[in-house]
Amino acid sequence: MDCAASGIASRVDFALVGHPETWKAAADVFSALRGPERTPLLDDEIKDILPWIPPRAVCRVDVKSTTHTEVHGLYIDAFIPPDRLGGACVRENLTRVRGAAAYAIKAGARIVSLGGFSSILTEGNFDRLPAGDHTAFTTGNTLTVAFIVQGIEKACALQGRRLRQSTLLVVGATGDVGSGCVRCLASKVRRVVLYARNVERLRRLAAELEAEGVDVEITTDLDQLSDHADIVICAASLSSPSLLLNGIAPDALVCDAGYPKNLAPHAESSRATVFFGGLGQITGGLRFDPDLHGILNRHPFPDVAHGCLLEGIALALEGRFEPFSRGRGGITPEHVMEIETIAARHGIRLAPFFNGSGPLPLQ
Amino acid sequence: MQTLIELEPQTDCSSSTVSIWQDVLAQAVTGERIAAMNYASLAEICDDPIEAEEALEHAAIERAHAAAFVAAGRRIDVEVVANVDGKHWKRIRESFLRCVAERDYTGCLIIQEIMLEAVALASYTRVANVAPGNLGKVFAAIAADEQKHAAHAIAILKAERDADPARFDDKLRRLHDDVMTTLAKMLAKDCSEGHCEVCVSSCVKPALFSIDLSAAQLRGASLQQYLKTLDALGLPGEVTLTWIAQLPV
Repeated sequence: MDCAASGIASRVDFALVGHPETWKAAADVFSALRGPERTPLLDDEIKDILPWIPPRAVCRVDVKSTTHTEVHGLYIDAFIPPDRLGGACVRENLTRVRGAAAYAIKAGARIVSLGGFSSILTEGNFDRLPAGDHTAFTTGNTLTVAFIVQGIEKACALQGRRLRQSTLLVVGATGDVGSGCVRCLASKVRRVVLYARNVERLRRLAAELEAEGVDVEITTDLDQLSDHADIVICAASLSSPSLLLNGIAPDALVCDAGYPKNLAPHAESSRATVFFGGLGQITGGLRFDPDLHGILNRHPFPDVAHGCLLEGIALALEGRFEPFSRGRGGITPEHVMEIETIAARHGIRLAPFFNGSGPLPLQ
Repeated sequence: MQTLIELEPQTDCSSSTVSIWQDVLAQAVTGERIAAMNYASLAEICDDPIEAEEALEHAAIERAHAAAFVAAGRRIDVEVVANVDGKHWKRIRESFLRCVAERDYTGCLIIQEIMLEAVALASYTRVANVAPGNLGKVFAAIAADEQKHAAHAIAILKAERDADPARFDDKLRRLHDDVMTTLAKMLAKDCSEGHCEVCVSSCVKPALFSIDLSAAQLRGASLQQYLKTLDALGLPGEVTLTWIAQLPV
């Protein structure tokens, strides 16, 4: 029986707050909701509709752990228009995220994962969100970092790369995800290059790493790199895929962990191996109602989702309704190990490798 | 409602936009007359004499709104002609009368207070933002009026839903498919079913950009208001989102 349609309130263990990555993604969701008997929406038509929709649940999400524990939740869309993720719309978008958070609280969610820009907008300051006595918020960034790091290590092993001999470039290095990746990988590589816009934050992070004996370079100009990085993590908060990486090794391994993606579409056509990182796969069981499988999570493999959203699910399965990731660059290797252990216990694992062209022959 | 007429809109519409305002006012007056007729019909099925009296008061208020819009038209030298038999409005009125025939008080409130009021409130508010001079003030004043009396009806409907959510939601869904589909067609970019029989000559919607409006804006704002009202009643967001997604565009 469809509880929602019959008006019966059902348990909400977790809520996942997100926003569409592209107009096409949004149009696909609306077309699925319209059903096969109605004309699918064109991109232009969705642009006239989506910005007016108040934040709300798009579907119910049921997840089963490999330990057979089940949790029930909601995917809540803040409906931030994909072309309004830029700095000029921060106030408007924060209002939408607050609306989505209020919706989650009202629905009774015990933990809320803030996906994509919804966590970036709150900047880890959960005071900006409405207060809910029984609702914890997490940015979900710690599990994102875990999957990025796992992805880099696994891809290196599969390609026969020696991580220890590599130069690691992190784009968006001072952000919550970027700095978490740096802290996890700095001691495992030969050299680290940190790229971000804010030089003061770069200096602070570099000083922290140098104190631990890491060979580190900072830059605010990607065209002025002194070393050709052979491993790259793109974790910048870009409003559209626009990043060009001209100064990296031609056969570099590149993990694009942005949402929206960081790399400009044609950047993938170089000799570098590009994979979409920070993603995990639910192996116990995932159900959407309405059934938006492969539409809401548009990936070439089943039951794949972003680490930030999976963190809330993993914590709910574990019965830990707490603000595990608070943002503001506080992710440590110990936190990463803890959340990846929790996720793995419930069958939430690193997603298979793929990029915009499809699955990668790396598995 | 004397005050609305006394706002005395000035002749401050440019000649190029007067015909657009004439059509906008014609739609507004038609909507208000339909609302007045709906409330008068509602009074006939009220068992409680106080409720019947309130319905008749609402009918009088809506008639006054219509008169205020007609007066506003006169001030800009246009004759505003309503047509309650225009194809879309007629269909909506027929839906309402079906509820009256079934003595379905809740259904009547859903159509008038949830659906038609959402569109009226959102549209008048958007129009008020762009209408010149006192014409804008008339739209703003009537929007404020509509908002005031919707709150009471929403409280009644919320209590009704709380008593039996499944039955209430089922009824709302049926009325949504009927009435909101018609309203969505009225607010769609193109009139796929031909002339609406309210605009004086050709359809006003493509010309709305001349007064800094668009059918997409009016449609979007109306559906947003409708969704917020449904949220206030407690309907699940994932259900109402699907309803909205299935409307004609």
